[in-house]
Amino acid sequence: MSKIQVEDINRNIYDIKNEDEYAFKIQKGLNREIVEEISRQKNDPEWMKEIRLKALETYNSLELPTWGPDLSELKMDEIATYVKPKSKLNTSWDDVPEEIKNTFDTLGIPEAERKSLAGVGAQYDSEVVYHSMKEDLLKQGVIYTDMETAVREYPEIVKNYFMKCVPVNDHKFVALHAAVWSGGSFVYVPKGVKVDIPLQSYFRLNSPESGQFEHTLIIVDEGASLHFIEGCSAPKYNKVNLHAGCVELYVKDNAYLRYSTIENWSKNMMNLNTKKAIVGKNAQIDWVTGSFGSKVSMLYPMSILNGEGAKTEYTGITFAGKGQNLDTGFKVIHNAPNTSSVVNSKSISKEGGACTYRALVRIAENAKQSKCSVSCESLMLDDNSRSDTIPVNDIQTDEVEFSHEAKIGKISDKEIFYLMSRGLSEEDAKAMIVRGFAYPISKELPVEYAVEMNNLINMELKGAIG
Amino acid sequence: MLKVNRTPVRTSRNFKINNIKLEDVNIPEKVWSFKPATITSSNLVENNVAVSGLTYGLGDSLLKNVMQCANHKAKITVDKQDKDIKMIYHFDDENTNLINYIEIDAKENANVIVEYKSNTEKECFVNSIIKIVACQQVMINVFVINLLNESSNFFLAMENSLEENSNLQYTVIDLGAKNSIQNYYANMTGESANNDLQAIYLGRKNQLKDINYIAELRGQKTNVNIDVQGALKDNAKKNFKGTIDFKKGCKKAKGDENEYCMLLSDRAKSIALPMLLCTEDDVEGNHSTASGKLNEKEIFYIMSRGINKQEATKLIIKARFQKILERICDEEVRNELMEEIDRRLD
Repeated sequence: MSKIQVEDINRNIYDIKNEDEYAFKIQKGLNREIVEEISRQKNDPEWMKEIRLKALETYNSLELPTWGPDLSELKMDEIATYVKPKSKLNTSWDDVPEEIKNTFDTLGIPEAERKSLAGVGAQYDSEVVYHSMKEDLLKQGVIYTDMETAVREYPEIVKNYFMKCVPVNDHKFVALHAAVWSGGSFVYVPKGVKVDIPLQSYFRLNSPESGQFEHTLIIVDEGASLHFIEGCSAPKYNKVNLHAGCVELYVKDNAYLRYSTIENWSKNMMNLNTKKAIVGKNAQIDWVTGSFGSKVSMLYPMSILNGEGAKTEYTGITFAGKGQNLDTGFKVIHNAPNTSSVVNSKSISKEGGACTYRALVRIAENAKQSKCSVSCESLMLDDNSRSDTIPVNDIQTDEVEFSHEAKIGKISDKEIFYLMSRGLSEEDAKAMIVRGFAYPISKELPVEYAVEMNNLINMELKGAIG
Repeated sequence: MLKVNRTPVRTSRNFKINNIKLEDVNIPEKVWSFKPATITSSNLVENNVAVSGLTYGLGDSLLKNVMQCANHKAKITVDKQDKDIKMIYHFDDENTNLINYIEIDAKENANVIVEYKSNTEKECFVNSIIKIVACQQVMINVFVINLLNESSNFFLAMENSLEENSNLQYTVIDLGAKNSIQNYYANMTGESANNDLQAIYLGRKNQLKDINYIAELRGQKTNVNIDVQGALKDNAKKNFKGTIDFKKGCKKAKGDENEYCMLLSDRAKSIALPMLLCTEDDVEGNHSTASGKLNEKEIFYIMSRGINKQEATKLIIKARFQKILERICDEEVRNELMEEIDRRLD
């Protein structure tokens, strides 16, 4: 029986590396002086500096996780936590330095611009270098800016929400993030405003040994709605890179947020990202997530359904190839009556890649009449790979409907045979089945990202029929 | 504090499922020999039995306890005369502590019943290891029954080794004890070995059930099926951890795992961690868990036949358990269990 060969995505366009030039590069390691230095460089107000220093203490007091993928390669002392690019904040594309622009060109940012997507907050290393936003959004009162500007211009909002959804002591890398965070997006959608075009931002890392700690804070006020898209790509380096971002989403009563993201880090990245959403009464958050790239990922988006009638949906795919260990999953806490969640997760492992679906469903005692349904499917493309499913289901009350199911296996011979009996070649049949496997996710993605994913699931079948 | 019954793979500590922590459990070290043990077998060696270690088990402290202080040890080599083996441990006021080691070498087909029950209100303690080797081509049927009083502590580690074409049918009925902690491990090395594990748990008042079932599929065409049916009343709490581990080389292996928990009170707590671990592609693995209260429509239907609500509820639960209880070939034991379930559901 021949094996299915799935090609690696052509990473060339992502692995372009500009010459290493920094206006400022902080000394290696992490201590109080460094955090203070970052804070000074950022012109932080006093309250933000306090948050950073407190977080540093928490960071030092917490241990590395005792579970999940091996993180021993990570040497925090060697990772310069902050690299400031030469260019300052730009308001027009023309002002962006040519060198940086070239990289963005290759990554397809102006493409997205031409498609009149609402705003592009592109992050080059640790600082936002490019920002544009449509006029009508401004008129509607939508705030879309980088985090640093938000801290300076909207301190009252930021103070109320910053590190409130994700507590600083959640785990070691959240504490690290809070101490050294830099860059990221801030979005505020006022009451009742429906943003009908998706907002996009694109992240990129471009420095050896530098971590990226961008902070995304999105507040969708009562009755408002938003679709936010985040994509990640980083050039390839030999040394271990760390990404410890943090995403905090607040979906107020009756509001709607759709958060789509493709994490496509280069194969040396340790991606230890934290994403959480607090969902209000009758509000809804939908997550669409694709996890590719990176050497190690530990990524578990979480919905906290705090309001009565809150809903969440998670649709995610993980694809682990050679040398990758992707540990992802979804967590949901049902904290109020009549809440509901639907989870649909898929994973593909090949050439020694390891996928783990690690998840939590907790239905609290007061969450009467809540519903939750979880389904995860894993596809193994060869016998060198690994696929694990580790879901915890914690049900604390009786008036619930809860179900969980998972499947593991290879492509079924019967399905191939059926398609072949319809006149398809074996290769085409297999390709069709894998595309079909990923389709529920790819159909949820915006077109550029779906194209990227299709690239990834570009299949090549070898060997004799049998 | 006693920390036991670790999962084979750790997950986030916040999920509180990696192991179970028990306060106020004393492991007795000085125990007299356990008298009320009735063993029916023609090929039995008692007490002069060497205790060997466990791959998983409940933890070092409990294993050490069996190795050093066991007050009843039994080794049975099943032969042609030994069709029905019964081991009944009947606790009474004088015999409340059992530290127990059972080894069964199944060279021939057999039925085995191991039952723990109490005729005393005193707090009892059981720390038991049951090891079974299912030899080539052998079909063995094992029933383990826990009917201890609800102030007792019950620790049970089951370890099984399955050779080529062997068929192990295992049934665990867990109704008793305050803390009931079970660990089950099947090492399926033989080609085409089959393991069917079915279990019932019923928790009420402040009972705690911690169930950790592990099957490792190594041989080609091995097949494991884990089916667990449970019900929780009052403040009962249950952790179910089930792991099917497809090891590299177990081509064409199949694993199914299903757990269904009926919640009969809004204070009952159910945690389930059904794991599938896989390093082989040519396999089929499925798991599902579900929990919730009983279907109102079903209850209504039965009530419309003139049966009151409590009886209707009991009928539905018993119907779910029935399929598993039917496996018990000994009619006397089966009836005893039915009565006991009925009593505990009142």
